[in-house]
Amino acid sequence: MSNQNPVCEEDVVICTHIHLIRNLRDVPFVSKMSRSERQKLEQRVASAVSENEGLSRVFRFIDMESLSKTEAVSLVERFLISADFLSDCRGRGLFVNEDETVSVMVNEEDHIHLQCEQAGLNLQKAFEKADGLDDILDKSLHFAFDENLGYLTQNPVNLGTGMRASLTLHLPALREGGGVSRISTNLSKLGLALRGALGSGAEPKGAVYQLSNHVTFGLSEQEAIANLQSIAMQLIEQERAARTELAESLEIQDTVSRSLAILQSARMMADDEFMQLISNVRFGVAAGLIDPIDYGELNRLMIMVQPATLTVAGGRKLTPTERRSLRAEKIRDFLQKLNA
Amino acid sequence: MLCDSCGKNPVTTHIKTIINGELTEYSLCAECAQKLGYGDFLTGLGRDYGSLLGGFFGGTELEDPVRCKCCGSTFDDIMRSGQIGCAECYHTFYDRLIPLIQRIHGNTKHRGKVPGGNALQQRPQEQLSLMRRELREAIDSENYEHAADLRDRIKELEGGRANE
Repeated sequence: MSNQNPVCEEDVVICTHIHLIRNLRDVPFVSKMSRSERQKLEQRVASAVSENEGLSRVFRFIDMESLSKTEAVSLVERFLISADFLSDCRGRGLFVNEDETVSVMVNEEDHIHLQCEQAGLNLQKAFEKADGLDDILDKSLHFAFDENLGYLTQNPVNLGTGMRASLTLHLPALREGGGVSRISTNLSKLGLALRGALGSGAEPKGAVYQLSNHVTFGLSEQEAIANLQSIAMQLIEQERAARTELAESLEIQDTVSRSLAILQSARMMADDEFMQLISNVRFGVAAGLIDPIDYGELNRLMIMVQPATLTVAGGRKLTPTERRSLRAEKIRDFLQKLNA
Repeated sequence: MLCDSCGKNPVTTHIKTIINGELTEYSLCAECAQKLGYGDFLTGLGRDYGSLLGGFFGGTELEDPVRCKCCGSTFDDIMRSGQIGCAECYHTFYDRLIPLIQRIHGNTKHRGKVPGGNALQQRPQEQLSLMRRELREAIDSENYEHAADLRDRIKELEGGRANE
């Protein structure tokens, strides 16, 4: 890649995730396991982690049964686990590293679901990390594999590489122009999916979308990554072109400046309102309409004030009014510190 | 999530098909899945194949079903739940699962990582396909020098494979 920046295309790509799903050869798949069998598997994974000095130093284990509902939802907001993982926490556990960029769900739909995150667009690096972790775990756990079918999974739909690569994208300008739904229909023909990342419906919160591959069989990891990379680059160019056009409008410039001012001074902030305002600010930074703010910091803020994560940070159950007030306070502090 | 077909009922079935290399996905409710012929997606295949096998083995299949040695699943269990019981099931019911897998994926040969190997080291076939794509992109972007270099490397690789 020609881009020398450590974080690539971060004006549009918030982060990259590589997911790998794996199963052990000698244990029934998750839907056939009792709670105690699931717990035994957690112990086996824990031993595999402890056998490796590098992993045992950085990973901590979270027993999903020990978490409150709010703490568990916060893990979803931080992109560490899937929403499905919460449906039944019995015998389920999570290994996660310090900066929360690598996690391993144990007993999700499959025995092992590992994921690696990189900031911005960096599929190759995220894949290298996931691939390395996969190799380490495979040495002790011996994943089920067939030469013709690839990695064996509980649902035959995921056979093959068992890999999903996904990019979290900020597409405010394409959404504004109504282009996202047209693009997503075309992408499905190419084996890719473009969906709202936060919230459901046609207008995902904060114009944050997820672009991911669907095909795991008959395409190698490298081919799937190359496909996704090439489509992502086209989407990024389209979004940038649409942004340039939008940024000329005085109305849009006004909206961006007002959004920043509200975030800096509001005393109450609802989640939906926050996502719209932060999206406007992110757009404003990218279009050069306001002073630069580090994208990584904006991403951090976006996650920090999500409802459950905010409540966990508050340390107690909050009423809706208290939550809005705490959110506004956190945002003000955060932006003030950035300016300092 | 509501059914893509009727837009009224909750989704129970996700269908993913690849026809001529084009992937289409839809989410359907039980009723529409039945109507569109996907209701017996799993069971239909199993039964057809099962009865074929049953014919070969004198119809003993129903009375003495094969059970997976590892998890105890029968082929009917898999068809009913739509989920494979364990890794060993894939071997125990291999011949009966292959048509189902073909119906889902339209292709029955894995490409990519092999445990113990290195996924970053591409097999020649994959490397060729990636280089051909890069060549197309280089030509499209009128980067002819890079394209010529790629063309030579592709020829070299193809020559190497022909000699193998």
